[in-house]
Amino acid sequence: MSTDSQPNTGSRSLSPVIIAISFVVLIGFLYLIGQGLRRAYAGPITIGQKVPAFELTTFEGEVIHTADWQGKVIVVNFWASWCKPCEQEAVDLERAWQRYHLGGEVLFLGVNYVDTEPEARAFVAKFGLTYPNGPDLRTKISQMFRIQGVPETYIIDRSGRLAFVKKGPTTLNEISGVVDRLLAQTP
Amino acid sequence: MVAEIGFGALIVAFVVSIYGILAGLYGARRHAEPWLESGRRAMLLTWPLITLSVVCLVALLVGGHYEVQYVYNVSSRFMPLYLRITALWGGQAGSLVFWSWLMAAFAAAATLRKWDRDREFLPWVIVVTLVTLAFFLGLVIFVENPFVRFWQMPDGRQAVAMFAPRGATPLVPMDGRGLNPLLRHPGMILHPPMLYLGFVSFVIPYAFGVAALVTGRTDDRWIRITRRWTLVAWLFLSLGLILGSRWAYDVLGWGGYWGWDPVEIAAFMPWLSGTAFLHSVMIQEKRGLFKRWNMILIILTYALVIFGTFLTRSGVLSSVHAFAQSAIGPLFFGFIAFTFIGSMGLLLYRWNDLRSEGVMTSLLSREALFLLNNLLFMGILVVCFWGVIYPLISEIFTGQKVTVGPSYYERSTAPLFAALLLLMGIAPLSAWGHSTLKTLGRALWKPLIASIVVVIGLWVGGIRAWSALLAFWLVALVSLVTLYEYYRAVVARHRRTGENYLRALWNLAGRNRRRYGGYIIHLGVVLMALGIIGIELFQTETQGTVQPGGSLRLGDYTMLFQRLDVFDTQDGRNVARAVVSVFKNDRYVGELHPRRDFFYDSQQTMTIPGVRSTMEDDFYVILVDWQSSAQGITFKIYHNPLVNWLWVGGLVFILGTLVAAWPDREAESPRARAAQTLAVQGA
Repeated sequence: MSTDSQPNTGSRSLSPVIIAISFVVLIGFLYLIGQGLRRAYAGPITIGQKVPAFELTTFEGEVIHTADWQGKVIVVNFWASWCKPCEQEAVDLERAWQRYHLGGEVLFLGVNYVDTEPEARAFVAKFGLTYPNGPDLRTKISQMFRIQGVPETYIIDRSGRLAFVKKGPTTLNEISGVVDRLLAQTP
Repeated sequence: MVAEIGFGALIVAFVVSIYGILAGLYGARRHAEPWLESGRRAMLLTWPLITLSVVCLVALLVGGHYEVQYVYNVSSRFMPLYLRITALWGGQAGSLVFWSWLMAAFAAAATLRKWDRDREFLPWVIVVTLVTLAFFLGLVIFVENPFVRFWQMPDGRQAVAMFAPRGATPLVPMDGRGLNPLLRHPGMILHPPMLYLGFVSFVIPYAFGVAALVTGRTDDRWIRITRRWTLVAWLFLSLGLILGSRWAYDVLGWGGYWGWDPVEIAAFMPWLSGTAFLHSVMIQEKRGLFKRWNMILIILTYALVIFGTFLTRSGVLSSVHAFAQSAIGPLFFGFIAFTFIGSMGLLLYRWNDLRSEGVMTSLLSREALFLLNNLLFMGILVVCFWGVIYPLISEIFTGQKVTVGPSYYERSTAPLFAALLLLMGIAPLSAWGHSTLKTLGRALWKPLIASIVVVIGLWVGGIRAWSALLAFWLVALVSLVTLYEYYRAVVARHRRTGENYLRALWNLAGRNRRRYGGYIIHLGVVLMALGIIGIELFQTETQGTVQPGGSLRLGDYTMLFQRLDVFDTQDGRNVARAVVSVFKNDRYVGELHPRRDFFYDSQQTMTIPGVRSTMEDDFYVILVDWQSSAQGITFKIYHNPLVNWLWVGGLVFILGTLVAAWPDREAESPRARAAQTLAVQGA
């Protein structure tokens, strides 16, 4: 650009180095989105597939291993404090948890996606969430599920297979409909 | 039958596009006029062909042909007629057809212009436009066909295919899944078409730019031809963005208008480079500078249009806007690689022919300030671009996807936006070629003092936050400068011609539409800035659970919850509607009905806020939790000061763009203008 303000004298050719750099930058950019695309197409865990075991460290510091909950139903909800639709479903999630947690057959996990801890804690306090909630450290869990955004809810059946996926805010009726059906199944 | 005709028309349009490309290439190589003419007609023909396909798809949607997968996915019996029609762009496949149709409309319009004076551009405009069109048609035909249907196979399985598999019988579902309820809003119905129009119409200036590069005719002819195209493209893109914000404000139920979501940014990026282009082409026209830069900008804008479409539709990024993951990603990637590398190769090839013809003489000249404007727009673009691709970069280097939130964008772009506002105040006062501090100061001091008076008034009025004072000062300065410019010009014209002031204003704007339309656009931006400052710096909110008869307080407002009605509607919704009375300073000001709609067909809910809207502020009530519990109903309330100036500013902005893009009364050709000058001199 600086050359633009120069007087129009002589014809200076573009140096091969600049041409090379331009193309390298462009190819690098294409490589970048190509890689992104490849990963996006690696695909998420689909319904009926076995979900690998993972662990969630809650805001209280407790570590929950899903492997310890074999044979139970696990509801995994991804949320963030900056996500408005998450506020909409938070009340319902807590209600659903209240309905099931005494039975001991259902585990709820709130996975806090890309957030800051004070704001996330404030969110948990504001909606009175009592089920285990914790940050998705190194975005490991969300990558495993290949989530596309928040909120998203995944329900894993007694045999450890993915039974239900909801992208967008869920409701009490939706969760209990699925969980009741899964509870009726034998492991 | 209808589905076959629609699909057939698409295939014919695809073949015609390919033929047009080949005819254009051959005609250019052999200088064979008949082949060029044939290519031109092929480009013209694509529009009626795709129109036929669109008519077929709309007929299927309106007729409720749920055996067609696309119709099943996006419509239902409960949907009113207008929503069934607009469901055309409610899903991936249909919206690609719609996009191709709009693209073909612009291509057809471009073929109908007078080509006699710049015939050498024609083959390359045909080739570039039709390559883009053929790519989108290819996606529709081979990957995302909206006409595929459900079939029942002899062995009981279900299949989805365009034509009946052997032994299969048609499978006709009773009803469709219905359109996503969030999309059932006037803003949302118009938002995608406007964005698409903005996107596709940028293809035309790009095609002319490429034509100029290929032919080596690198004077400002291509810019003069495409000036109006660019303004129209920019108008639609702006409209799309404004409507999208309005939709978000009305429907998404979080009292916001812009969330820095990757897809929003994907639409914003071409707007940024397009805005920079609109400004910098003026420098090339007036002073012969920045030829390379303009070429880079138009290529960048087209590239960002394609890149943005790719981001939205390929599933690479996480976003609330993204379409479902689809197989078009890799094809899009190929097209991006092809166009980016091709454009850049061509640009570097012609680099030396694109030298500036003039010299920049003053750092305070109009062209220098325009350059600064361009740098600021590019700065915002870089911030946005980095934010969008950062998750991809972090994933490659660290293995984890780190996304950046709104605060990153807000913090990085706020100073740039403020600097742009300041520049909007100063640049119109500077002259082309030569300006000094003295000339600039003479034009600036009156509005400057007036704007400082405004700030002092605000300070006395109780506003203490320095960010707010600074923002209001900028807003005051720009509006005063703009109004003062109008005032000076009108008074001068009144003295010179004796016309009354209103007539002088009218004629003034009529004689130099681009300049005075531009000023109106600037005023629109300032008004929008006022709304944005109001909501960003002064928004307050609260949330509470109340019984009927209970109330919530926020600032000067009190909200009294009367009752909750729950009922079913004719069009398949279950509605929970709260009735609340609103008091301002304990004086009754009205009743609001925030509600929650549950759509039986798609099993989705939608919250619709109740809003009391004035130019001073919005009182915005959302029903957060409607299932009656012992504690009552939960409401969320926002107080959004000044937010309506955002929409008013948007209207002014659009008006200004229309003024700037309106055809001039005088003939535009330099020859006619020269003749006119001679006539004036002779008189």
